Amino acid sequence: MNAKASKTHVTCIEPAYYEAITEAIRKEAVQILKDETVVGVVGYLPGRRKGTASPALVTTAEEAGKLIFSPACVNNLSVYLTKAKKGVLKKGKVGIVAKGCDMRALAGLITESQLQREELFIIGVVCPGVYGFGAERTGTLTEANIARKCRECSVHLPDGADVAAGTHTELADLTPEEAEEMARIEAMPQAERWAFWKEHFSRCIRCMACRQVCPFCYCEQCLCDKNRPQAVESSPRPAGNMAWHLVRAMHLAGRCGGCAECERVCPMDIPLNLLNRRMAKELKELYDFEAGLNPVEKGPLNQYKEDDDQSFIK
Amino acid sequence: MHAETKQHDFEPKIVAFVCTWCTYAGADLAGTSRMQYPSNVRVLKFPCTGRIDPVFILRAFQKGADGVLVSGCHPGDCHYMAGNFHARRRFAAFRALLSFVGVDLNRLQFSWVSAAEGGKWVDVVTELTERVRTMGPMPEFKELEHEEQWSTFAGASADKVLNSPELKEAYDSIG
Ligand code: SF4
Ligand code: SF4
Ligand code: SF4
Repeated sequence: MNAKASKTHVTCIEPAYYEAITEAIRKEAVQILKDETVVGVVGYLPGRRKGTASPALVTTAEEAGKLIFSPACVNNLSVYLTKAKKGVLKKGKVGIVAKGCDMRALAGLITESQLQREELFIIGVVCPGVYGFGAERTGTLTEANIARKCRECSVHLPDGADVAAGTHTELADLTPEEAEEMARIEAMPQAERWAFWKEHFSRCIRCMACRQVCPFCYCEQCLCDKNRPQAVESSPRPAGNMAWHLVRAMHLAGRCGGCAECERVCPMDIPLNLLNRRMAKELKELYDFEAGLNPVEKGPLNQYKEDDDQSFIK
Repeated sequence: MHAETKQHDFEPKIVAFVCTWCTYAGADLAGTSRMQYPSNVRVLKFPCTGRIDPVFILRAFQKGADGVLVSGCHPGDCHYMAGNFHARRRFAAFRALLSFVGVDLNRLQFSWVSAAEGGKWVDVVTELTERVRTMGPMPEFKELEHEEQWSTFAGASADKVLNSPELKEAYDSIG
């Protein structure tokens, strides 16, 4: 696959673009199910309401012919292959439809020995973007309804996938809203930063949707659920919330693939991806680590160098 | 004879998380050598800095610490070979996170103190204690401990205040 050469910039992405991807995914999924390369394919089926899509595991060629890809395919499907969602992988090789940002999660899970590359058939999507939360679902993707993460996407091309569906197309002139927001917070005086996050965290209802949806939150027992000894207060009160959010950000540091699923599912609109991005930025600066499309031997907090920075240590 | 003790308006609570092999022995040496250092510090002993989870630091702040010290063996001296190397990366990341959410990093000190460095222990602890003393008490985490969800809403921007008449009535009837 070499789509780089033919990259185009447009102001809106028509439904036809997604239909072409849909066709390619169907063809591939039907094929690998027919020749028994895989026992199932995790992909998207049309949702019950117009303009929506649901994650689905299809196991027959007939079902695979109904798979879709549209800007409503927001979910990061890699979560279904983790220990937290037991059972899907047990029987053999599995196919999975993955956007670039989902592939970073697959790569991270392989790095952490949670998945094996040989057990996956990755149908990569050359993804121009998906709908933002609450945005208008018109079928056409524009600057007005694209997700925040997609504005700054660096993984439109699913390099490393077994096959890629789509031709490289991007929306032109997107402002990096999230990066600007992060810079704005960093420029605040310290007390204001505390007030900003305190207000956000205090709204958290501890529904744990952000944890459920995260491919990297696969621990069988979360530290934040333990009560003997209790590290983090589990009721939704400001103190426990602050601790939960700091622990979450810490536990995802150096692992998070930036799919922003946590932020998407948060019913209280807490900008979780800002924390993820801040940690990613730090690990890039300190240890030159960036979550990528291909597995690495070890994450940045699972390794060290003897001459790592220690200017903050006396 | 006791050394002359000065009276201060504010005695900060300092919590020190130390490893048993180096810093704890260093602090012990300071003690057996009868060196003086502020009694503000409460020492908690761990097998290794690698065992000191960032959540311990949060917990200390929540439960009333005004300053926290984390100290262990110098790089290369770790009893478990690499515990302090891993800790170094983890704490570098944790500092960035704390700073991003608005915690003053002057309240958090990291150091390497070996079993032979009783003098360095005294210096580190004294310096942190005096620094935190001039900064005053740390209110942020302690305030959170005493707040409920709705108490922060009261101070939030107008559109986020829970102020439907029904809620107000229910709230007032609690008395
Ligand atoms: S971040 Fe990139 S790969 Fe992920 S949904 Fe957005 S455009 Fe697609
Ligand atoms: S922390 Fe959020 S953005 Fe990162 S991998 Fe998990 S769900 Fe995705
Ligand atoms: S999804 Fe949002 S409200 Fe729910 S626990 Fe996570 S941050 Fe809190």
